[in-house]
Amino acid sequence: MPAKKKQVRSQKAAVKTKKKEEQIIEITGTKAVIRGNVNGSRVPSRILEEHIQLAVQEGARELHIQAAGQHGIGGRIWPKDETVKFYVEGPAGQRLGSMGMPGTEIILKNSASDDVGWINCGAKITVLGDVTNGAFNAAAQGTLYVQGGGGARCETMTKRNPRFEPPQSWYFRNVGDSFAEFKAGGIAVVCGVDSRNPENILGYRPCVGMVGGTIYFRGPIQGYSERDVKLLELTPQDWEWLTTNMKPYLEAIDRMSYYKELTRSMDDWKKLIAYTPQEKAKKKPLKISATEFRKNHWEKAVGQGGIFAEYLDHDLTVLPYITTGKFRRNKPVWANEKYAPPCAYACPTYIPSHKRATLIREGKLNEALELVLQYSPLPATVCGEICPNLCMNSCTRGQLDRPLAIDKLGKLSLDMPAPKKAAATNHKIAVIGGGPGGMSAAWQLAIKGHTVNLYEASAKLGGKLELCIPHERLPREIIDKETERFRQLGINLHLNTKVTKELFDKIYKDHEVVVLACGAHQPRKVSFPGSDEIASAYEFLRDINLGKHPDLKGKKVVIIGAGNVGMDVASEAYNYGAESVTAVDIQKPAAFGKEMDIAKAKGTQIAWPKFTDRFDKKERKIIFKDGSFLDADVVIMSIGDVPQLDFLPASVHSERGWLTVNDEFQTSDVKVYAIGDVTGLGLVTHAIGHGRLMAENIHYQLMHAPRQPEAKQVVPYEKIKTEYYEACKTAFTPQEEGNRCMSCATCRDCHMCEVSCYWGAITRNDLGNGRYEYVTDDEKCIGCGFCAGICPCGVWEMTENI
Amino acid sequence: MESAARLDSNHKLTLKELPYIIRWRDDRCKRCGRCTAVCPVKAIAPAVRVQRSVRSEGAVPTPTAKRTIVHVVEQVADIEKYCTGCGTCSLVCPNEAIEPEYNPNNKFLHFKNKGGDAYKRGGRRNDPLVSTLDKLKFTRISMLTDPALDAGRHEFRVRTLLGRVLPPEEMPLTLVNGELVVDKNSGKFIPPVREIYPIMIGSMSVGALSPPMWEGLAMGISYLNEVEGMPVVMCSGEGGMPPRLLRSKYLKYFIIQIASGYFGWDEIIHSLPHMVEDPAAIEIKYGQGAKPGDGGLLMAQKVLKLISGIRGVPQFVDLASPPTHQTKYSIEEAVAKMIQSMSMAWGFRVPVYPKISGTKTAKAVLNNLARNPYAAALSIDGEDGGTGAAYNVSMDKMGHPIASNLRECYLDLVKQGKQNELPLIAAGGVGKKGNLAANAAALIMLGASAVSIGKYIMQAAADCLGDEHNRCNLCNTGKCPRGITTQDSKLYRRLDSDKVAERVVEVFKSADVELKKIFAPMGRSTELPIGMSDGLSIDDKAIAERLGISYAC
Repeated sequence: MPAKKKQVRSQKAAVKTKKKEEQIIEITGTKAVIRGNVNGSRVPSRILEEHIQLAVQEGARELHIQAAGQHGIGGRIWPKDETVKFYVEGPAGQRLGSMGMPGTEIILKNSASDDVGWINCGAKITVLGDVTNGAFNAAAQGTLYVQGGGGARCETMTKRNPRFEPPQSWYFRNVGDSFAEFKAGGIAVVCGVDSRNPENILGYRPCVGMVGGTIYFRGPIQGYSERDVKLLELTPQDWEWLTTNMKPYLEAIDRMSYYKELTRSMDDWKKLIAYTPQEKAKKKPLKISATEFRKNHWEKAVGQGGIFAEYLDHDLTVLPYITTGKFRRNKPVWANEKYAPPCAYACPTYIPSHKRATLIREGKLNEALELVLQYSPLPATVCGEICPNLCMNSCTRGQLDRPLAIDKLGKLSLDMPAPKKAAATNHKIAVIGGGPGGMSAAWQLAIKGHTVNLYEASAKLGGKLELCIPHERLPREIIDKETERFRQLGINLHLNTKVTKELFDKIYKDHEVVVLACGAHQPRKVSFPGSDEIASAYEFLRDINLGKHPDLKGKKVVIIGAGNVGMDVASEAYNYGAESVTAVDIQKPAAFGKEMDIAKAKGTQIAWPKFTDRFDKKERKIIFKDGSFLDADVVIMSIGDVPQLDFLPASVHSERGWLTVNDEFQTSDVKVYAIGDVTGLGLVTHAIGHGRLMAENIHYQLMHAPRQPEAKQVVPYEKIKTEYYEACKTAFTPQEEGNRCMSCATCRDCHMCEVSCYWGAITRNDLGNGRYEYVTDDEKCIGCGFCAGICPCGVWEMTENI
Repeated sequence: MESAARLDSNHKLTLKELPYIIRWRDDRCKRCGRCTAVCPVKAIAPAVRVQRSVRSEGAVPTPTAKRTIVHVVEQVADIEKYCTGCGTCSLVCPNEAIEPEYNPNNKFLHFKNKGGDAYKRGGRRNDPLVSTLDKLKFTRISMLTDPALDAGRHEFRVRTLLGRVLPPEEMPLTLVNGELVVDKNSGKFIPPVREIYPIMIGSMSVGALSPPMWEGLAMGISYLNEVEGMPVVMCSGEGGMPPRLLRSKYLKYFIIQIASGYFGWDEIIHSLPHMVEDPAAIEIKYGQGAKPGDGGLLMAQKVLKLISGIRGVPQFVDLASPPTHQTKYSIEEAVAKMIQSMSMAWGFRVPVYPKISGTKTAKAVLNNLARNPYAAALSIDGEDGGTGAAYNVSMDKMGHPIASNLRECYLDLVKQGKQNELPLIAAGGVGKKGNLAANAAALIMLGASAVSIGKYIMQAAADCLGDEHNRCNLCNTGKCPRGITTQDSKLYRRLDSDKVAERVVEVFKSADVELKKIFAPMGRSTELPIGMSDGLSIDDKAIAERLGISYAC
């Protein structure tokens, strides 16, 4: 409503004006007078602008404007290379001379409103008073002369177009806050005369975002945007420009009297120019570096080395990811023979088949075949014939094609001579029992130079090998030959000498150590109706081996107990004509290996679980507790044998019929050792192994030497790189076996590690006499584990580098 | 019976069960072993492979067999040595021959319980989804309606108050010579208040962090205060503080935490007479967002000379912080007792506040604090926080998201008219996806006076490799490949504390720019827009309703 009223009033005023002939515009030649206020009524900005444009079109070149707050006076005038002068009086509105063009000259006789010279494109604007906020905002060309000072945010966004001269603006006093923000071109001069703020002529935080142009100023300031601009002294060129252009400016604002003062000295002036993008890019992102802060602030406050220095015992430097020497996390060790290979570990005697293979590879076949005699007196008999070869079961090679033929290699040692004995020690040891355990113990002790008396109840050495193993499994000539070799070692044999209580006492007195290896030769029996009619496996097998052959033609044989001895009984029963053989057991049968294979091949049936109730000899039936029965002409009980210990004194403790021993095979009597079946039933190889290990213990004890523990951990299979080997297609030869051995946990000197190490950290040292070692250079090694990962033998291992 | 393991692959896992599968390129690898040397968990190892081919090149069958044995780098299919995807192998590989690849079909958690041990790890919640914080948008852009500001041009004062702010009518003010001053003889307790930067570094202990990591953070925030004039504070964590720092002038930039293990507190008390400055505040830890209800455990292998000295414990022992404080039997009693003791230690000059894990019961704690004149704030740590060690189930499945928890506490204060009195500090997932300033601003506008960051700063300042796909997350094992969370000097010496400090400065400076970018269009330059929830929107109606903000789509 108020706007409408105003309009009505103004129309009335126009009518009045006409009557009085009072008009907005009067043109006289090239001179025009334009009134912003007619008859007390303000002319709208739109109308005033129409009159100004009309006057210029009509040829007016000197316009006198009596302003009344109209917007944008003097802008957008294009007189085509002529000059149009505006003399403005009174309160000009905002944006005086905005979008001003070249050729336009504006002189405002008093102070201006906001945004004088907004986007000035070439007008010369002189304000004989102050300009307020936003003067010369976005000016791109032209000049602004200010007789007074500027308000806030003057000179922002000014430009410089390369096609034209840059804009200039001059302020006589000071300017307000936020001066020259985002200024991109042009020159601003702030003379600082009679500044309204004596401490700061450029206002608060000038030049934020300024990227171009120059500001000359004279007088004190309080900071500027240091991120954007730099403060410099004037150069002679600057000074030349300033003093030259100062004159027309001062003339225009009628202040020539200040010329001398303002141009007194170049040193009164400073300039601000923008950093170039290159300079900005070079500027460090941080005011000071973190390292400087640590040195100059942090460590001064908390102490040298920082807050943890007193607790840390290492250099306070940074380490790379790839390190050598003591900074590696892991380091390799050439752990040659640190672990036992699976074969030696599985063998109760720890026979080092891998070393035998090494000697074969080195062309030392005889040495290789003799080596085993250091471990066993009966390699052909045991390894070669009757042993289940636990070594071969665990042989790593078996994972690729077939295990190393350790049995065949053992057999090849048959013709090797007995080892040489060490010099006599004069220690005297008795061994009671001439079975595999006793032979092993006597053999080992004799090799070590001790005097050994061996007592055997029967006429022959060999114990159960001789008595109970069917000849088809153990050819006579082999055990005879090995027994013969045994005899060559000079052990004092006392055959057919059953040790009684009295004899034992004598033996005990006459020797430093007594070894009990008398085995288990008393068949174990259980009682049930008819059990008296049953023979034992021990007796059955012994009688055969002693030449008393049973007649089982057409007979049905039942064996109680389906272990390996039971299998031997079954085989022999078939050998002597049995029609059928059935082995029964109360649990899952323990038989395995060759014994079972032979027995089954002959037709042996196995039944379990079967608890025997009675044997009816008349009915020829064996009846079980579950009510079932089998026809049985002959029943043989094969549930193991127990030792006969009645000759022993009370000082040798036994439990449930077996001698108890400690880890060193020592009984409760420190002078008495026991091995083999007398301590519990086992394989022949167990008895031989016990004999050897016990001999070591006795030897060390007698010689007062510190015991070197022999037991090692077994090497894990995954450490052995079977990939290097090709599945073997050739027949057995010792040489071939030497090559087939994967040399688990024992270096085969193949140089694989040396060649593979990227860092050249591994070298082979020749130690003479065929000995060698591989070593690492810690300063080259990064602890990557390649040597350990690719070593064919699993010799290298990685350990924590501490 | 043969061992099955010896013979074939019985009970062996396939690589497909594992969370990361190593992609190794034979054609690029030069077998230098850098990758196997640095793998923190020995998930890769040099191995031997045989390749065999048979060719026949004659006019009639003329077979020739060719065997080649090659050395390779192989991933170990062992759950105890699973590849964590950390990528240290790729970092050191000169030939780009190796990198772990995430296996989204893994069945890792089916197997990671060997020996009946539940899976423990460090890091963050394994949840790669976009969090509520990241969904929040700032939708009030008041360029014409309010006096909008220019973040690049205008000066901002991004500050917040830590400490209880008394309402004017409760301040014992008096006129002296025409000036309003605090009447020191009124006998009334005036709570201590600190003006701090609204993003603080949350509690990560000496012990959980390695020496260069902790010192780098400490140096970084000291730099920000001293050089940049940004009052950023950092919480010590519960592992005590080095006496050198306790006795230095920089102590004022640190919040000392006391937790249920009370580690290092005798050393702190011994340092009291030597302190030249008061600490910024004391934080009483009752819970941790990453593992609510779960205590801390520093394994013996981390408790070496340094930790032993600073925590005041013997070397080589496991250090357990029980999930609950001993000798405290109710909220009333527990909080009052602890706040009293801690306030008293510094003559009631230091703000003391509790920190709890995000929980449905947060309001109960808050209301208790609102009545306690000595309570300086409440810090709530939401489920997306990180930790050095926790059970996987605690990390992944327990806890409360921070957004609604914080919001509901703030609105509760509003109801009581106390929203400007008791500051709320929010934490848990701030910067989870790298949007530090946006997440912080969102929490502030939901009602937080300040936010706390942890794993974000580890990531940003020390290049922590962890992510929401369980990458790395070895913090609990002492095997951190970056050297951030380990006490093994061979590992932590990979970390340069100067670099960490520099990054802290850069992170805060840039976050400051971003905060201004968010606050400027709303016309906020001097007052933090705490609780200014009309500036927030979300494109999820349910969340909008729950948080009491507008829905925008």
